[in-house]
Amino acid sequence: MTAMLIRRLVQVPLILLVIYTVTFALAWLLPGNPLDKPEGRRPPVEVQEAMKAQYSLDNPFKFYISYLDQASGLAWLRDRGRGGGDEAAAERPIFNLGPCLQYEDWSVNEIIGGALPVSIVLGLVALVFALAIGLAAGVVGAVRPGSWMDVSSLLVALIGISLPSFVIGTALLIVFAVWLEWVQVAHWGSPRDLLLPALTLSLPFAAYIARLTRLGMIEVLSADFIRTARAKGVSETRIVLRHALKVAFLPVLSYLGPAAAYVMTGSFIVEKVFNIPGLGQHFVNSVLNKDLFLIMGVVLTYSTMLVLFNLTVDILYRWVDPRIEQA
Amino acid sequence: MRAILPILLLLALLAAAVLLDRPRQPADLTFINRGEVHTLDPQRMSWLQDFRIADSIYEGLVRWDNDTFEILPGVAESWDISADGLTYTFHLRGNARWSNGDPVTAHDFVYAWRRALFPDTAAGYADLFYRLRGGQEFFNWRRGQLATFVEEARGLSEVRRRQLAQQRLDEARRRFDETVGLAAQDDRTLIVTLEVPTPYMLDLLAFGPFMPVHPPTVEAHVSLDPATGSLRQRHGWTKPPHLIGNGPYVLSVWRYKRDLRLERNDRYWNAGSVGSDSVLCVYVEDANTAVLAYKTGSIDWLSDVSVDYRADMMAQKQRYMVRNAARSDELEAEGLGYNEIMAVLARESPPLPGERNDIHAFAAYGTYFFNFNCQPTLNSGAFNPFKDARVRRAFSRSVDKHAIVDRVTRMGQPVAHTLIPPGSIAGFSGAEGLQYDPAMARRELAEAGWSDRNGDGLVEDESGSPFPTVEILFPSSTEHKAISQAIANMWERELGVRTRLREEETKVAGTHLVEHNFMVARGNWFGDYGDPTTFLDIHRTGNSNNDRNYSNPVFDDLMARSDAELDPEKRMRLLEEAEAMIENDAAPLLPLFHQVTLYMYDPARLRNISTHPRLTQFLHELEVVR
Repeated sequence: MTAMLIRRLVQVPLILLVIYTVTFALAWLLPGNPLDKPEGRRPPVEVQEAMKAQYSLDNPFKFYISYLDQASGLAWLRDRGRGGGDEAAAERPIFNLGPCLQYEDWSVNEIIGGALPVSIVLGLVALVFALAIGLAAGVVGAVRPGSWMDVSSLLVALIGISLPSFVIGTALLIVFAVWLEWVQVAHWGSPRDLLLPALTLSLPFAAYIARLTRLGMIEVLSADFIRTARAKGVSETRIVLRHALKVAFLPVLSYLGPAAAYVMTGSFIVEKVFNIPGLGQHFVNSVLNKDLFLIMGVVLTYSTMLVLFNLTVDILYRWVDPRIEQA
Repeated sequence: MRAILPILLLLALLAAAVLLDRPRQPADLTFINRGEVHTLDPQRMSWLQDFRIADSIYEGLVRWDNDTFEILPGVAESWDISADGLTYTFHLRGNARWSNGDPVTAHDFVYAWRRALFPDTAAGYADLFYRLRGGQEFFNWRRGQLATFVEEARGLSEVRRRQLAQQRLDEARRRFDETVGLAAQDDRTLIVTLEVPTPYMLDLLAFGPFMPVHPPTVEAHVSLDPATGSLRQRHGWTKPPHLIGNGPYVLSVWRYKRDLRLERNDRYWNAGSVGSDSVLCVYVEDANTAVLAYKTGSIDWLSDVSVDYRADMMAQKQRYMVRNAARSDELEAEGLGYNEIMAVLARESPPLPGERNDIHAFAAYGTYFFNFNCQPTLNSGAFNPFKDARVRRAFSRSVDKHAIVDRVTRMGQPVAHTLIPPGSIAGFSGAEGLQYDPAMARRELAEAGWSDRNGDGLVEDESGSPFPTVEILFPSSTEHKAISQAIANMWERELGVRTRLREEETKVAGTHLVEHNFMVARGNWFGDYGDPTTFLDIHRTGNSNNDRNYSNPVFDDLMARSDAELDPEKRMRLLEEAEAMIENDAAPLLPLFHQVTLYMYDPARLRNISTHPRLTQFLHELEVVR
């Protein structure tokens, strides 16, 4: 267990370095000048050059090294080692992800620092919803395969997977915000604002979890140890919830790692429809704006989360199912 | 137990996160800006939404009247202009205060404008300050100084580099004081000397980049970079609680892509003119969500309606206006303005189902057009038929602009025959431009040597080679595509040429425009200040916005003469002549329609929205009737 943990932890920075290198190459090759406005006036050439000069965007190799130096925390360590440096250095964070080129008054750290907690909260709630809905639907379907309850849970799963979230989200908004006025449109910050977007975000995951649970349950329910339990006279509820679900949950658990990373780094569309100040929008907008620092900031944040969540799931897996450790 | 622990942990995390965030507080006026603010540093601004906030938290020497755009006193209570039009002396009012209580002095303006002319600041509008005597020369001198710094500093220790950078900076500041026409005679007298007389100088001075900044605040966030020798700014000072302004409001909250809140500034000298005590600017990313938010009543003013169904909303408004046409005419005859008429109508005749009175289209200070590449050859080296003005005129005359406005865009835009919206600049009477006339278009094309010689319905030159396929470049969007398709069809039908649409991602299309890498390309231009040069300058040889690469010594000479002309009347006549040359004759671009801006607000509730094309809305003048 410990050896595995150490091995995996050593891998983390290597994986991130590879991701950084590939992202940097792709982002650098994006067409267009990040400092150009898409529309309207362009200043004279000498002014444009002065604007470009403030972010050493002239040399990709210099940029690659200096960004790595700043973002990895090495520069911070060096500054500390030298005893502080100037006041500008004192304000710099440990992992300095650089300035935002489009929204000049903000640093990438400030942007991600503001958006990530929002996405995590929304993601966690959505994950809880997805688990609750998915497990319930999956179990119900597996206990009575082919019954009307199974069919209707399958139908819900089908809708959850196939209807795009901008349709579901807009429909929920029109019903609950515009007609019933239970929640506010484009409002964020109180627990009530979480419900509709979390529900919208959870549906595709819920659908997938329902399918995984149902398949797992059907298989487990015909297993020998369940028959033994039934023969012993254990109540059906106890069999399903205590014995069968525990085994059928394993594939769901392995799915939860990537799902958690995905759900917590936000969904561009759900954030757009409900106007949530989360991280998802920056994935798309930073690329459209060719905002180099922001692109790399969000990609690195996302990959770090993905790697760490997968690691967590692997640990949980061993904890829940000791057979894996032995194998 | 195993199952409960993670759940408890999860719930605790959630509760903590929810409790840590706080929802926004309601305000007297809530609106959705055109997009997130990019910067609140006035010298670095270039977006309309930024200027709108700047107008609330800063005040320049003068300000615009929001309805007429006449010049009103701001921080300066009066000013004198020398007879040669070159020297402006501003007398600052004694009761102008920064929001921390410091007096606003002439030195603060010198500080702010000097920042703009330092290339280190990377101010997008630095060239507006070239109008100051020696401004352009200083900007380029400092750039040269920074370039040599890198050479000189090579191999020096960091301490030495810092010293050298400081020496160079001191030198630059001295040089600025000696060579640039800007001086604070005392705390309340600012003397501005210009390179050439600029009749619209006061109009420029009301514009964002000329607003002052609080020097001690900015100075605390600026440091010299020993690697480049240039001044580097940390942007923390533009955010509360650091930001210190001198306008009607102070900034109390700014959360990136969430909200921005303004509170009345009690130290503002004209605090009595401020309508709402608090203003909340909400950021909404999605156009459809913005309309939904307006519908629920939580938004008083939606300042940009960009949903796909806006044309249908305009049609509903049209139905409302048609039903109330008689009463509306009556009120107009009584001398009421648009907003007053709409308020009376809202009271007397609420909209029926299928009608609406809360969407408003106002003419804007800009034009939608198509560029013709005017170079002798295309970038690829291929033959460029559009180098010939006759061809450009023929293509311009063969487009039925009314059909496009009525059937494609459907937003009631006025069709355009000139780049400058007619009547938008006082004292300037615009040219007529080229009107729709397909027969004339075919004649001009034939004069240029292109006619159908073999009866295949397509035009050829004398040697029989067909007109090159006309490639139309536009940035990816449904609207641009529909418009490009429409004019392509008109050219094929009226002129007998083949066309091809070239749709590119926005940034890519932008790059092609800058590099003149196109035949015909969609373009767009908004004026910055109230003078014809804000539109005409883009046709000057070598101008950074001359996407067409149009170059005509006669036009350049006319513009140069207008620069030197002291008599404002004569100057306007020269500019009219220059515009006529462009619009009636040279046709480097094909104006399609003048832009409109769509707002949503309830005319019975929101007061004092300006209908002036310049699109600035002073937030402190807006009021919501509850």
